[in-house]
Amino acid sequence: MSNNVIIRFSHATIAYQRRTALTDINLEIFQGEFVGIIGPNGSGKTTMLKSILGLIRPTHGSVQIFDCACHKLRCRHKAKIGYIPQKGQIDPNFPVTVMETVMMGRYSSIGLLRRPSNDDRELVKHALREVEMDGYADAPLGHLSGGQQQRVLIARALVQQPEVLLMDEPTTGIDTPTQHSIIRLISNLQKNLKLTVLLVTHDINMISPYVDRMALINTQLHAIGAPADVLNEKTLTAIYGKQVVVTTKGGGTYVIVGDYHYV
Amino acid sequence: MFEMLSFEFIQRALIASVIIGLVCSIIGVFVILRNLTFIGAGTSHAAFAGVTLGYLINYNPLSFAIVFSLLTVWIVGYLNRKGYLKLDASVGIFYSLTMALAVLFIGLMKVYNAEVYGYLFGSILSVTKGDLAIILILGLAVLSLVYLFFKEFHFITFDEEMAQASGIAAGWLSFLLLTMIALTIVISLKSVGAILVFALIVTPAAAAYQLTFSMIRMFLYSAVIGITASVGGVFLSYWLDLPSGATTVLFVSAMFFLSLIFSPKRGYIS
Repeated sequence: MSNNVIIRFSHATIAYQRRTALTDINLEIFQGEFVGIIGPNGSGKTTMLKSILGLIRPTHGSVQIFDCACHKLRCRHKAKIGYIPQKGQIDPNFPVTVMETVMMGRYSSIGLLRRPSNDDRELVKHALREVEMDGYADAPLGHLSGGQQQRVLIARALVQQPEVLLMDEPTTGIDTPTQHSIIRLISNLQKNLKLTVLLVTHDINMISPYVDRMALINTQLHAIGAPADVLNEKTLTAIYGKQVVVTTKGGGTYVIVGDYHYV
Repeated sequence: MFEMLSFEFIQRALIASVIIGLVCSIIGVFVILRNLTFIGAGTSHAAFAGVTLGYLINYNPLSFAIVFSLLTVWIVGYLNRKGYLKLDASVGIFYSLTMALAVLFIGLMKVYNAEVYGYLFGSILSVTKGDLAIILILGLAVLSLVYLFFKEFHFITFDEEMAQASGIAAGWLSFLLLTMIALTIVISLKSVGAILVFALIVTPAAAAYQLTFSMIRMFLYSAVIGITASVGGVFLSYWLDLPSGATTVLFVSAMFFLSLIFSPKRGYIS
């Protein structure tokens, strides 16, 4: 693997029992890149992230990160990958505070049979400051808004001091202004901390101004490149199977997928 | 009150009830938060089937209770983890299967054995020195494991997938937790009974869940409620000459309803 390639899919096919989720994926992600992964429901976006985490093993080909097969990742590798899964509904009564939630990100580094140290607590406070949630350390997680909870989950990933951040639909279920603030926060963190970020989303227009490249998938990799290069009606129609309109305004590219209006 | 404390069987019952109340209520926190409530019921009946087999072939019933309950939680856990069957469905199958085995083993006994029914309904006042030793050893083992792996159990209870992704051995720890649930049920079997042990695991933790937003406090409240109910059950059953298991469960259920009323999460009186 070359020096600045951090994640590599080589002819990777990934299947769940009888269903193939991804077929023959060839993809290289470079260090310090912000890559958006776009595709319809069931297209294999989440599977892609899970294969990088080593939670699913390719049936053919390979998926590598840090020069290591993902399914053979050891703790020292996993500690360098911050993962923010799709945020399900957090039970508002679940007994966990913001501080405890973020501290969980340190557990893998702390190791078995050890307790968090003062240094770990300082890292947690620092991560909370990074996501502007330092005033909520003792608040129950379930009492926060969806956007605030998402910031806490980002802090949990940051406290691992990761090199790679994998995010699965981090703006789902959040109002539009908060979605923008979350994506801006991720973009700033990516630049300031020199992170490699892979972000799965349905919202093409939301992330296209921020990402370096976009991967368009629907069980196969249809296109990878800068948003202006890959966001075209032909490719998007092939992926979504619906009418797609691509327009440009103010230097930005905007996509409307399957938006029918009947008069 | 002090006169009853001079009886050795009462002393043993009180020590046993403190340990069982503590272990059940601590394990109960994980059972409640991980939605494993039904597995407690299934496992306690599996343990009872083991006891009946022990009496049938005249061999230590507790050892069979351990084997039956461990096999149940491990198989149910495996089926669920592999995605072959949902947890409630597989527990339902084992619940009825092991009860059928228990009925079969009782039917095969040539003579009526009252001790078997003691395991079904519980009798803490009949705990022997040997029983107490087993309760003490297994109870300390379960509590030690909770202490040693507390932060990992906390993580997998809140978000198992994330824990696994960050390098925590979530699968292994889940099976360890199931094993601890099975052992907790086994040590409580004789005192509280297969039918009622489930309440001593679930109810204190469910009551504590109503009272706090902090997991540490939930453990603390659950332990206080569990020990209070367990020890209170012994006193009440002695004074009122009532079955000890049923008295304990009624006591802890009353505490649960009080916690509902005073819950800061509900706001009825808070």
